[in-house]
Amino acid sequence: MSLWRLVRARTSVVWLLLVAATALSWKLSHGLGLAEPRDAGCAVLVVAFIKVRLVIMDFMEIRGAPLAMRLAGETWVLLMAAALIALYLGALQ
Amino acid sequence: MDRARGAERDYVNTRHQILCVWSGVLCPIVMFTGLWPMAGFFPPHHPTASAADIAAIYQQGTSGIRLGMIFIMLAGALNVPFVAAIAAQMLRIESGRTPVLSMTQLGAGAAGALLFIIPALIWTAAAFRPDRPADITLALNDIGWISFVMPFTLAVVQNCAIGLAIVSDRNAQPVFPRWLGFFNFWVVLLFLPGGLLTFFKTGPFAWNGLLAFWVPATVFGAWYFVMAAFVIKAARQQAA
Amino acid sequence: MRPISSALDTTARGVPLPDRPPRHLPGEAGIWLFICGDLLVFSLFFVTFLYYRGQELALFRAARLHLDQGLGALNTLFMLSSSWFVASGVRAVRGGAARMAPYCFALAWACGCGFGVVKFFEYRAKIRAGITLNTNDFYMYYYMFTGIHFMHVLIGMGVLAFLTRYTWRGACDARKIRNIESGASFWHVVDLLWIVLFALLYLIP
Repeated sequence: MSLWRLVRARTSVVWLLLVAATALSWKLSHGLGLAEPRDAGCAVLVVAFIKVRLVIMDFMEIRGAPLAMRLAGETWVLLMAAALIALYLGALQ
Repeated sequence: MDRARGAERDYVNTRHQILCVWSGVLCPIVMFTGLWPMAGFFPPHHPTASAADIAAIYQQGTSGIRLGMIFIMLAGALNVPFVAAIAAQMLRIESGRTPVLSMTQLGAGAAGALLFIIPALIWTAAAFRPDRPADITLALNDIGWISFVMPFTLAVVQNCAIGLAIVSDRNAQPVFPRWLGFFNFWVVLLFLPGGLLTFFKTGPFAWNGLLAFWVPATVFGAWYFVMAAFVIKAARQQAA
Repeated sequence: MRPISSALDTTARGVPLPDRPPRHLPGEAGIWLFICGDLLVFSLFFVTFLYYRGQELALFRAARLHLDQGLGALNTLFMLSSSWFVASGVRAVRGGAARMAPYCFALAWACGCGFGVVKFFEYRAKIRAGITLNTNDFYMYYYMFTGIHFMHVLIGMGVLAFLTRYTWRGACDARKIRNIESGASFWHVVDLLWIVLFALLYLIP
């Protein structure tokens, strides 16, 4: 397997997406477009968990894992994101 | 043939092994009984409680505290046969090799038994003369709680030894399931926050906090029952 | 008589579909027990943090401003890149290019070092400015959680160093691949945890 073949893979695309998402969440934290801090905060959390899901599905290869694990992974990402966003918004009351 | 098998069984000593494991099952039960129904030390005293409050606790619950501490001391002693039973099975894992991990586990676990006994003795001293100046009672109470909740280092070494031994088991039929080794590593992780209670008097990392007390205490108790089940299973399998 | 094939194996016209790769969980079951347990603990950390943040919102918001977001972002890049290197190393081992694997794991280890160096400077700057574990609740969580995460990084770097040596010899059998996958999975968790910590501590306003 040549070096190029090693690089030319799904994982590389995922890395680019992750870096882009990091830049996006940085911008969001500094107020990109979203005036209200609560919206910015929610957006940051959503992007963070999109990144987490990418790491779980593509780096940790849960996408191709037995369906029970896949379900558990997706569920955890969803529940955590929901719980943290709820707590974050709850604090802003 | 039967005589040979009988001799084999005597050599394996299953009955005594199981006795030692039951000692370990009793350990958290006796400890909890001493801590709560008797001494009333559960939930733990607040690190920010005043000297007067703590002195009052010792003055009002003196007999219960004194009795509860004896139970906790007993629990400490009950830990030792259990640790030995685990070591005995770890010796099977390490058979044919120098059994350093079994010895590490035995040493760390046996020393760990003192970590129940010492706090119990200190709390006993506090309850011995409940009418002494409140500041002295407060100090003794502090020493008791710190020595009870904080020392995680021996448990880390003990459980890492167990985990490492289990995952490096080269026998044709492993003594313990491999995942049990990782379970022990996970338990180590949960003990870590407790070690930093020295910095905090409130919040989740204080000696009565969620992460320094409740989580490690729950996991600690569960560890006894999980390990007990698998040590008994291993001992029975050894005799078969 | 033709055996009855499952509806999934053939198209409507009875033409067999190409074999789908079987579902595969990388690494051994035990490491996933550990990983799930670790994620459970950190889930508790995250929830605890946001809960207590809600009790002292103004304090947490003000305290966050002293964090160096640039360093946090740099650390995120180190983590993401190290994960990419690790994933590439695993692919190399599976794809018959096992000789490239040690370099992948070594580069991942180097990223870990970069993370450590940044953390060192970050902590040092804070401590010099008088911000410590006991300064306020925000910084208690900051030091405790990034500290426990950093311990994971150190353990992970041990694993990466081990994987570098482990794959040095070349050809890997199924058991070896499974062990490599186990180590790799652990490292990805370290990356994953940092992604959330970066968002919670550094970014959310």
